[in-house]
Amino acid sequence: MDNKIRRIYVPMTESGFYILYCLQQPQHGYGIGQRVKQMTGGELVISAGTMYGTLSKMEKDGLIAFVREEEKRKLYQITSLGAKILELEIHRIERLYKNSRGENVNE
Amino acid sequence: MSDTKLMIRFFTVADYEEEEIWLRQNHKNGWKLVKTVPPCFYVFESCAPEDVVYRLDYKNNTENSDYFQLFQDYGWEYFNRCMGWLFFRKPVSETDTEQDAEIFSDDVSRIDMVDHIVRTRMLPLLIIFFCCVMPNFIRSLNESTSFADLFTILFALLFLLYLYLFLHCGLRLRRLRRKYSKRP
Repeated sequence: MDNKIRRIYVPMTESGFYILYCLQQPQHGYGIGQRVKQMTGGELVISAGTMYGTLSKMEKDGLIAFVREEEKRKLYQITSLGAKILELEIHRIERLYKNSRGENVNE
Repeated sequence: MSDTKLMIRFFTVADYEEEEIWLRQNHKNGWKLVKTVPPCFYVFESCAPEDVVYRLDYKNNTENSDYFQLFQDYGWEYFNRCMGWLFFRKPVSETDTEQDAEIFSDDVSRIDMVDHIVRTRMLPLLIIFFCCVMPNFIRSLNESTSFADLFTILFALLFLLYLYLFLHCGLRLRRLRRKYSKRP
């Protein structure tokens, strides 16, 4: 994997993580926002500008790709590169979680 | 027919937060912005006084068709474009939470916008300054005919204007960037 991409995205912002996570299924920007709101019980809101900026950056870096258009809205989905990044990020968050509970990580 | 009025007010690329507050205040006073004409003209139309949030996004014409759809889905009314800036508004009554009234929900994206302004507005200006304004100013100082004196004054004025704008925008953008990166 490209080390530069890895440096940029691991660790990633909270919004970035949720957007990438939601794009394991094809979805458009507003749909992602709604889903994240629901998943987090309204604790994380991703605004329009942040959503657009993150999607364009991730598309440019090849983490997600445009799949099709539905009612004038672009649908994106995660790519294999994006899935690898997401996996690294989930692994990192699991370690954080375990360590925060006083558990050690056995590699 | 509703009344319109023209107002003159100069905001630099680093004053967008002040501009948003000023536009919101005008709408509260019953004047909604219709369009802007560079560099400093604002056309307002009389309307029922209402608390409406104004937000400016700097995209420098890089936005695609999906951009406007997304903002519309989030309840933003797009109504004006000016020098790479896009103008949005939303009545406060239609916002449930504080974040509903924002177009950016994290400071990383706010900083991205500041960096975009610096890259596409400040740097080209800096190049024009060093390659055009400054050499001409220095050259005109070395010439002594009365015709050249007029140019000297002209370039001196331009030189001062540039210097002021650089300092103003540079310092303000740096302050904005710091404000965004210091927040918890």
